[in-house]
Amino acid sequence: MTVAIDVALEREGVGGLETEEMTLNMGPQHPSTHGVLRFVVKADGEVMRRAIPDIGYLHRSIEKISEKVGYHGFMPYTDRVDYVSAMQCNQGWAMACEALAGITVPRRGEYCRVIACELGRIASHLISVGATGMDIGAMTPFTHCIREREKINDLLEELCGARLTFNYMRIGGCAWDLPPGFAARALDFINRFEPLIDELNELLSFNKIFVERMANVAVISAEKAIAYNLVGPNLRGSGVRYDVRRDVPYSVYSEFQFDVPIGTGEKGTLGDSWDRYMVRCREMKECCRIVRQAIEGLPAGPVIAKVPRTFKPPRGEVYVRVEGSRGDMGWYVVSDGSAFPYRTHIRTGSYTAMSIVEELSPGLMIADLVAVIASFDIVAPEVDR
Amino acid sequence: MASYFQNIRETLGTIFEGLAITASHFVRKPFTLQYPDRIDIPIQDTLPFRYRGLLDVDLEICTGCLACERACPIDCIVIDARKDTQTREMILERFDIDLAKCMFCGLCSEPCPTGSIHHTPEFEGADYSLESLVRRFVKAPVAAYKPTKGPETDPTIGPVLKRGLRYLDEFASPGAS
Repeated sequence: MTVAIDVALEREGVGGLETEEMTLNMGPQHPSTHGVLRFVVKADGEVMRRAIPDIGYLHRSIEKISEKVGYHGFMPYTDRVDYVSAMQCNQGWAMACEALAGITVPRRGEYCRVIACELGRIASHLISVGATGMDIGAMTPFTHCIREREKINDLLEELCGARLTFNYMRIGGCAWDLPPGFAARALDFINRFEPLIDELNELLSFNKIFVERMANVAVISAEKAIAYNLVGPNLRGSGVRYDVRRDVPYSVYSEFQFDVPIGTGEKGTLGDSWDRYMVRCREMKECCRIVRQAIEGLPAGPVIAKVPRTFKPPRGEVYVRVEGSRGDMGWYVVSDGSAFPYRTHIRTGSYTAMSIVEELSPGLMIADLVAVIASFDIVAPEVDR
Repeated sequence: MASYFQNIRETLGTIFEGLAITASHFVRKPFTLQYPDRIDIPIQDTLPFRYRGLLDVDLEICTGCLACERACPIDCIVIDARKDTQTREMILERFDIDLAKCMFCGLCSEPCPTGSIHHTPEFEGADYSLESLVRRFVKAPVAAYKPTKGPETDPTIGPVLKRGLRYLDEFASPGAS
């Protein structure tokens, strides 16, 4: 017996027993892929050789639909581009149409948009933070996050009548003004929520087991992050201080004071999964700051500009950027002068994050892939559109 | 070796920190509610006025202008209206809303001049077949509502119109503060 093992060892060299590469399917129906997303994992035992993302399961031709339903009618569809933070998608489409037709949004309208967007961003980051914990194996923080998100959903429901697919913005402004008492309730929520971020950090972020799972996993250097076109918190986690709200200010963001948190590498290496996760936790505080400033400085006046029902922008093309919850979201719209867009293209953060998964995966454990996906905060419908 | 025990100590420490937070929730107010019938009023009454639930149409105040049909991005509203040549009134022959298709975006209720088509706080729309989700509001052809100059005097239409206009007031209009 021992002789046989010795012979085998001799044949294989120092490595030991002969192993075989296996191909595994992770997804499309897998709880930690955050939607219908498939990874073809080539693994040697528990160590991955490659993980190839296979996207397209949730493709709904949203870009093509825009060519059929017109400018006003496309607004509810933008909710479905990224249903976890639909407000920023609304704003992207509205801004693109306004840029095409040269419409100025009233100041109160812009402020309402900012309040709605930032509340939506908090809700999205809460989902991300909670789901990261749940993917790693911590169930409780998810319930804490969902509890707070529920409050935001209640606020947004009051504002626009829906909890997920808001359809709040219109070309030229917002469909609804803030309801009476909304500002006070939003402030109440912010004041109560801000200390809870610290509680959440204590509960999850600095938990030793969580840190061990996330720190030093899938390190992305700043150069690589830029080369692979990562955006949003994924890019900031690598230490690049880039935020569309600050660097290419749109709407009224230039009037607010806020920091752009970046990864620090305090638990492991700069640009690891924990940094990407932590950027979101810190960003929620900045969102609270923006909401507070926006409510304090809320001007009076109309929230929507006069836009004709048959909206026909002049010929031309625009590309606008919005800082979505998953980063720099680009809206490219070509108009041929008719009531329907000639071409629409949406550029999203989750899609670019998929490109780096294959590069990162060699040498990681299969269980680490879950941490990587969670730290990228991938929303599958946003990948495919 | 030192780092080995250090790790164990940190792990235990942070676990107890987390458990302390969880334990503190024993003395906080519970947040969840069982869904059906655990509160005093129907859940629909707790929803905000703007809530976008199942669509409803008040035929008494529908003017037959087809604005909602045009605004709907998925064509779930079908209206047949013709003009009576003798009385010069709009006659509504069909007003169907396919609630199975409807995505509750609210774009149809926005251009309605009287607030006839509106979202209700009703959300329980489960049914056994797709056909039964098509709401047919016109049972027999009826004359469309003709807006009067000045306040509405008809006692049956008056309150309905008042509700409809209140619904419309929720939408922001350009120029208003």
